[in-house]
Amino acid sequence: MNELALRVSGVTVRYGRDIVVGDVSLEVRNGERFVLVGPSGAGKTTLLRAIAGFSEDVEGCIDIAGRDASKMPPEKRNAVYMHQTPVLFPHLDIFENVAFPLRVRRVSATEIAARVASALDAMRLTGFAHRLPRTLSGGQRHRAALARAIVARPNLLLLDEPFASLDPALKGDIREAVVAAHAQYGPGFVLVTHDFADAALIADRIGVLIDGRLVQIATPLELFARPASLSVARFLCVANEVQGHADGAGSFHSPLGTLEGVCEGLPSGPAIGVFRPAAVRIGGSNGCRARVADMRVRPDQTTMMMSTAVGLIEAALPSGLGTPSTGDELTISLDPRQVVVFPPQR
Amino acid sequence: MRVSRGLVRGTVVAVLAVSAAVPAALLITLSVSEEWFYPSLLPRRWSIVNWAVASRAGEALASSLWTSTALALGAGLASAVAGFVAGRMIARLRGWRRRIAVFLAFLPVAIPPLALAIGLQFSMLRVGLGGSFAGVLFAHFVPALGYTTLFFIGIFAVYDVRPEDEARSLGASPADVLRLVTLPLLRRPLIEAFALGFLVSWAQVPLTLLVGQGLIATLPLELLSYVSAGQDHLAATAGLILTIPPLVLLLMMGLAVRRLRVVIV
Repeated sequence: MNELALRVSGVTVRYGRDIVVGDVSLEVRNGERFVLVGPSGAGKTTLLRAIAGFSEDVEGCIDIAGRDASKMPPEKRNAVYMHQTPVLFPHLDIFENVAFPLRVRRVSATEIAARVASALDAMRLTGFAHRLPRTLSGGQRHRAALARAIVARPNLLLLDEPFASLDPALKGDIREAVVAAHAQYGPGFVLVTHDFADAALIADRIGVLIDGRLVQIATPLELFARPASLSVARFLCVANEVQGHADGAGSFHSPLGTLEGVCEGLPSGPAIGVFRPAAVRIGGSNGCRARVADMRVRPDQTTMMMSTAVGLIEAALPSGLGTPSTGDELTISLDPRQVVVFPPQR
Repeated sequence: MRVSRGLVRGTVVAVLAVSAAVPAALLITLSVSEEWFYPSLLPRRWSIVNWAVASRAGEALASSLWTSTALALGAGLASAVAGFVAGRMIARLRGWRRRIAVFLAFLPVAIPPLALAIGLQFSMLRVGLGGSFAGVLFAHFVPALGYTTLFFIGIFAVYDVRPEDEARSLGASPADVLRLVTLPLLRRPLIEAFALGFLVSWAQVPLTLLVGQGLIATLPLELLSYVSAGQDHLAATAGLILTIPPLVLLLMMGLAVRRLRVVIV
């Protein structure tokens, strides 16, 4: 069995004269969950539709399960594409919706009944088989669409922003359903989202697509720790940027202090250091003074907006510090292991 | 001055009701009366003699009724199918191609019926279909196609293609997609387009007259002959007969459409 569920080589997609996706290459292994992230308009959906066979002006090579699918029509690719909102056939009940891919493959009625029952069970939809789609809730419709996708046993599951229109509670439910559906038999899996938090929760690897270019592929941890470029860091909302300069010997100098060994290989000149709120330490001998300007309370983390010589920076509230008041003066320093330095973008 | 919405709505409904009810009432009254002269508000004598005459002329009327029905069914069916295909193709076009295609689709509707009839008569004669049922059927099909194509351009302009995409991605061939997804989803517009084509054909006079060369007798032509002979009471009776099939069709269509669970437009 071929280990690769998908190989995309040098794929370019054009709309008229515009290049929407440019020279993208990536591989997805069987059983792997690969998530494409990027800002709106980056070309994520276009790339996904090209893989599914819905785009006409596509250059490059798309192999699905070891077969060249570049010229194949969508129905021959065995790659199930799911739209952002679940698209169930409104004239068919849930059983017939889920049975659809089996009916078009002329599978026997006995096998259809067994496989549909199993898929509905996996998606917690037993008992809804003879309901029409319009009588189901949004979450149930998502799960029915997933059941229909897995019953087809595709080589590749392509999901376009499946969580985009969901409230937080339903999002968690559907995320679990997506993972469960994929785990059923583990095809290749490509999911598109603009939300890095969703991507990090679901992905084995993440590809970052910006302006039609795939600028980085990494695990969620690697991506967060070492974004490949300033634009990736900005997309990931790393939160803090400080202007400074690299000295050519690996050190980065900024009004927030000097950080050694953070920019090896970077030539001497202007540079930008980016870091998350967790990289800001309270105290430290090499620090600078900062005043608490505001507190930001979130369900998962409380941060402080600190007024510094370089403007506002966001710092995580460390445990044991207590809750500072607005206007309090603190000394802050940066953890060099959590700071990434880039040359300024042209 | 502020006019209440209820008054406006009531006036519109009343105008529509009167405009349909008055001619219908006149037809019915004429068909069951013998002498009705100006300025009498009602006929002097009531009678069903016109219906008796109509039934005596039954064979000719029945024959023309069947011809009209066959023509309307054929034109309705053919124009619904062709309009569906043409509308879908045109809706997918962009820019100048689309504008030209819409213009061409609009032509049979925009050209005055008599001018269209003369053009078609000439064409049918050239291909040897003048005075034939097939020739008249084709002549009826042309304007009906114009209407159904314009109808389907509107439908496909707002039609959601995502179910078709999903179906193909799930392994359905284009034929399967058409059979299992597109046609069931568009059943209602298809029925409505058929009715549109049927009605366009049903009311045709100039095309039938010129292309049929008097050899194809339809109910509207029979009606016209009564009117031109001054037999108003008989014409009214035939007119009522003429309205029955479309009313039955509309009723059946209404019932069929009500039973459909899905409308995707």
